[in-house]
Amino acid sequence: MRLHSLIANLVTQRRGAVWSAVAVICALSAYILVTRMRLDSEVLNLLPSGFESVEGLKVYNRDFAQVRELTFALLCQPTDVDKLEEFAPQFAQKLREQSWCTRVLAGAPIETPEGIRDLQSIAIPLLLNLEPAAFNETLALLQPEKIRERLHRLHSELEAGSPRPQIELGLDPLGVIAPALKPFANNAAIEEDQPLTSPDRTMRVFLTVTNQPSIGAVDCQKLMREVKAFQAHADEGWNGGPLQILVTGRSAYVAEISLSMRHDIVITLLGSILLVSGVFYVGFHRWLPLIGMGLTLLLCCLVALATGLLIFHQLNMVTIGFCAILIGLGVDFAILIFGRYQQARDEGIDHPAAVSEAVKSLGKAIFFGALTTAVGFMALMLAGSQGFTQLGVLIALGITFAGIFMMTVFFLFLPWKNSAPRNDWMFTMVKNYVRWTVRRPSPMLWISAPLLLILTAVALSPKPPIIFDVSTHSMEPKRSDAGYALKTIMEKMPSRWEPVIGIVKAANAQQLHDYWQKVAAQWNGLQVAGKIKSFSTPAALALSPQRLQTNRQKLRTANLHGARAALEAAIATEGFTRDTFESAFVLLDQLQGVALLPGQLPDWRTQLPQKSSWWFLVDRYFAHDPLLTTGFVTTNAPVATQDQKEMLHRELPVESVPMVLSGWSFTLTDLVPWSHRQLILISALMAVFDATLLALLYRDWRLWLIQVATLTMAVCAMIASMKLLHIPLNLLNVLAFRLVLAIGVDYGIYVLLVWQKARQLDHDVAGVVKPVILAGLTAICGFGSLGAANNPTLAGLGYACAIGLFWSLAATIFFTLPAAAAAEPKSWREESLRPRVQQPENV
Amino acid sequence: MFNTSRCCNPIQVGRALRARRLIRRTARRSVPTCFVFGLLFLAHVVSADPLSPADLKALLAHIREKRAAAPQVQADFQEEKTVHMLNKPITSAGTMWFQAPNKFRREAKGNSPSITVSDGQHLWIYYPKFQSAEHYSLGKRSPLDAGIAAITASLNLENVEATYHITATKEADGYQLQLTPRNPSMKRFLQTFSIRMNNDLQVGRTEMVQPNGDRIVTTYSNESRAPIPASTFEFTPPAGTEITTPLGR
Repeated sequence: MRLHSLIANLVTQRRGAVWSAVAVICALSAYILVTRMRLDSEVLNLLPSGFESVEGLKVYNRDFAQVRELTFALLCQPTDVDKLEEFAPQFAQKLREQSWCTRVLAGAPIETPEGIRDLQSIAIPLLLNLEPAAFNETLALLQPEKIRERLHRLHSELEAGSPRPQIELGLDPLGVIAPALKPFANNAAIEEDQPLTSPDRTMRVFLTVTNQPSIGAVDCQKLMREVKAFQAHADEGWNGGPLQILVTGRSAYVAEISLSMRHDIVITLLGSILLVSGVFYVGFHRWLPLIGMGLTLLLCCLVALATGLLIFHQLNMVTIGFCAILIGLGVDFAILIFGRYQQARDEGIDHPAAVSEAVKSLGKAIFFGALTTAVGFMALMLAGSQGFTQLGVLIALGITFAGIFMMTVFFLFLPWKNSAPRNDWMFTMVKNYVRWTVRRPSPMLWISAPLLLILTAVALSPKPPIIFDVSTHSMEPKRSDAGYALKTIMEKMPSRWEPVIGIVKAANAQQLHDYWQKVAAQWNGLQVAGKIKSFSTPAALALSPQRLQTNRQKLRTANLHGARAALEAAIATEGFTRDTFESAFVLLDQLQGVALLPGQLPDWRTQLPQKSSWWFLVDRYFAHDPLLTTGFVTTNAPVATQDQKEMLHRELPVESVPMVLSGWSFTLTDLVPWSHRQLILISALMAVFDATLLALLYRDWRLWLIQVATLTMAVCAMIASMKLLHIPLNLLNVLAFRLVLAIGVDYGIYVLLVWQKARQLDHDVAGVVKPVILAGLTAICGFGSLGAANNPTLAGLGYACAIGLFWSLAATIFFTLPAAAAAEPKSWREESLRPRVQQPENV
Repeated sequence: MFNTSRCCNPIQVGRALRARRLIRRTARRSVPTCFVFGLLFLAHVVSADPLSPADLKALLAHIREKRAAAPQVQADFQEEKTVHMLNKPITSAGTMWFQAPNKFRREAKGNSPSITVSDGQHLWIYYPKFQSAEHYSLGKRSPLDAGIAAITASLNLENVEATYHITATKEADGYQLQLTPRNPSMKRFLQTFSIRMNNDLQVGRTEMVQPNGDRIVTTYSNESRAPIPASTFEFTPPAGTEITTPLGR
């Protein structure tokens, strides 16, 4: 028994068995979904793997406390700057009181008494970490004569009105802390470049570290709900004009993006269903097949998801969006099959025979259509992105299931009894068009070919250029509070832009110290040469165990008792109060203790109070694993070009130091060549695959040439439209090209395969052109509905696909068909249009 | 007053006696009352009179006019500084030069000589004894800017209302201005600033009180409004001077 007859037999004679099989498949899929469903909310998994910069971002996100940081900003009117300065400490205090807030940085820690005290608590390890010459110099400051000289000098400076003695005696009454902090102070340079107050004083920035348990979407949403509640009443006590309270940070973005994703899925799915249903009803005036089509598509989604889970064990959240794409694609098969089935029924054929006829006529076309589309989406695996690999495989699976189920399960929903044929204006119109085009193809070709050629020229011309947006902004939701906050902060503080990060991991503390010494030396050279604006590293905090040991040996030889006596005497001579030097005596005691203490020094991290603002600086450099560290390079301008990225790639790494360069802007710029490769190479591979497949399928070089020309011009018309409509390409909507190739080629296959086998051209070809038009319109509507998505990458993908499919459909109808006709002799065309059997007019 | 001999009627006599006692009692009470009123009158004459807002505005306008006519000043000073870090106050003396709006030079003599020069953008403090100098960049909203603003406020008084809440009193020989900072950054450095001026609006004494209790009292004498060469407010450290920048760049 032939396959089409077997299918017809199964879905008409053994309906119970087929329904049972469907029920089993549904139950199995549902069981897999319920028991194994695990969603991966990591946005970074959408970026391609194999890029150091991407891996660096993942490490930074996973291992550094910075990802739990939220940035608050207060923005007031220019007339209220003094009020803002008074209100800022109140706001900082309110932040500290929030249950979700672990630490707050409202100003330079060195400017507060607590900050100075905290710094003094880690002074000894920093002192012992000084390089030998600097340590010797510092130790010499404890000689009695030097102590006397210093205090006399400070007294004179006090007399002269210098602010220095007050600062120096407040922080470092003994005079050894400042040299110990000198390497550490260099790290604060980046804080000077990225201040917490805008130059016009209308904006104050507050950094907070939150205590959210994980950085997943759910915890980010929970945190942001609490933050929003705080935001709502955080201006209590403010008595000035309008005050904006802005908040941004990773958690704010993740919460917004995940929420907008949910919104996008609901909106686009509902939009797709409504639009597709509308088009289907306009085309066929029937509800039952529409419901059957919807349920069959749901079955496809369910089975594909379950199979995907079995393959990948967990699915990225973005892959859930595949349902919208799958509906847009799978509906094509349903419309084609149903269109041919209905045509057969209207010709008076009974249900089983009509099913057999539909499968026989279009089975091959649907098989190849599904194959090209599946291969097109499977090509997403070449992108190297975990998220997009899953998306590609899921859609490929879904489209394969759609091909199978539409030729089997879908028929279960079709009634045995056909309602009375009615006047099908659409079919009549299409049939008239086909008849006219086949008879006289040149007028249509004279319109469509020049138009498509002009658009091809526009696409190939360097002007106007196509916009390629690789900024981080291109990935933000359209209405993003976090994005607005970041944009406002960047506008108010133009010097604040995201630095490039260099991640270094060492095997032990000594290696970490040695690595960062080398890196700091090289980056310092780059700064002096003007290649970078500034940099900061954890070099001062990456202590060397060897140095600590050597310097402790030297400390044992120092006369600390003599230093104490000299200090006592000098205080009395110069008339200083003893209170001023209380911490100096404590430090002398500690130095004495360290000199005599056997074994290793306690870790400086345990000495720094947990609430200390200095942790902002420490956490900036050190991951949870203290041997995993990062340094920051502020470039002369935000990283946006390949030249900048290549210069940084060339200059920043240090020989023999394993370093991963990353940062959002850096990574996105790093991905531009990948994106171009996606656009050109993989699309070209797809085109070669399609061309080969078409050659095997048609075995007619004229039809092959026509179809290849159609595809090329459709893609060029898509590029030209995007150029003229100023629709930017971004890192993700470049995928639209392969989607358009994969789907667009199907339209040609459907039409030309029927063309080749047609017994009566206008009748048979119109029978497939009408469903192709309906399928194209539903696909355009399906993808167009993605334009309503809040996520610009998804919306951009939707717009690009809708435009591309429009041109594919238009080129197939207005170019492929007349061109195929023009390729045949006129006599053949006349002969083919002659009816072999009398058809009812409505068919 | 009342003559009892001329009063024969006992009723009249009794009335006269009661009247005399009343007068005596009233007179006895009037002595302290008059004394108090007298003192009040004298106090009114001798002590300060708070200036009304309109008068204060007029006074400041007058000061501005005078400063505009001669925007430079040179004077000798004597300073007493009470610093919480020291057990005893420090005294110093020397000469200062000021050119509106923000240039000044201050040369202190004695055991710890120093030269402080500001051209409005940079501040140098030079210690000849140690052959060392400190260099500060101004205008970066550092705590130093608030200090410099406080120093120049007494000498300049241009647009001083924008930076300070001001009250003033009229005294017998001049005016006393009490300035309290409006700006929170200045409040961190300065609690109150008092300026005493004579009737010719020459600054005679200033007193600066800081939030940590430190207090600086400066008295000025030999004021001159003669032109000052521009080079006075320039400073180039002598060769061999050790230069430090305590507040960084």
